Amino acid sequence: MVKAYKQEYTYRHPWERVTSASWRKFADPENKRTLSHILEVDTLNHKLDSNSGKLYTTRAITIHAPGPWFVRKIIGQDICHCVESTVVDGHSRSMQLTTRNISLQKFIEVQEKIRYDPHPDNPESWTLCRQETSIQIKPLSALASMAEKVEQRCAERFVQNSAKGREVMERICKYLEAESGGISL
Amino acid sequence: MGMLSRKDKKTSDSSSSSSSSTSPCANFRAAYHNCFNRWYSEKFVKGQWEKEECISEWQKYKACLSEHLDDKHLSRFLEAEKSVVDHCGQSR
Repeated sequence: MVKAYKQEYTYRHPWERVTSASWRKFADPENKRTLSHILEVDTLNHKLDSNSGKLYTTRAITIHAPGPWFVRKIIGQDICHCVESTVVDGHSRSMQLTTRNISLQKFIEVQEKIRYDPHPDNPESWTLCRQETSIQIKPLSALASMAEKVEQRCAERFVQNSAKGREVMERICKYLEAESGGISL
Repeated sequence: MGMLSRKDKKTSDSSSSSSSSTSPCANFRAAYHNCFNRWYSEKFVKGQWEKEECISEWQKYKACLSEHLDDKHLSRFLEAEKSVVDHCGQSR
């Protein structure tokens, strides 16, 4: 029982600006209201390879994911920790984020991959975002009988949240554009 | 970066109800993330990646995290300097 979703989205902003916005996505208070399911983001580790221009980062994301009462009863918590690994290649201008849950893995595995690349039709001014989400409920979990329902609920939440995420990204891009006077970044 | 200046208060407010363990580090976190965001947009994306910056901000933040991060799944990532690359390598 794996559900997978693919989405594509074009930002009419250059790659440099969009990836800058991606780092700020969870941080600013304005966005905290929109992305209210994100409680905390901590950077756990980072590494810069100054020869190749690659930046590696690991962040912990704490998400508030309240489910139906019976789910909370079984798993005993409604806070979920996720780990996000990011690779930015400054030379080839690509950013890849992979997020997976580390809490509740007995019951459910969610993996989300996001890539930001210069848009092939307009590589200097636009950015293509490709997002892939897979959700898997463990068949032997205590939730098996209601797994379908939970899976559906998760999927709906993810689609809702990724729409919110885009809204936030657009807002930060506009902010960064204004800040830079619309010239370079 | 005005957009981030009110973050600390907001973070500690929201985390008081969330069993969060790293909120004592909110100030260090904000200082490091502000520094990192500036470095990323002003240097890294322009090809100036020879030199690492925000080192003292990172050291303070990391010291605080290693004191307050209780979750062993998360502290595994914090302790293993090397695991960053390995972890990312797998996910590609």
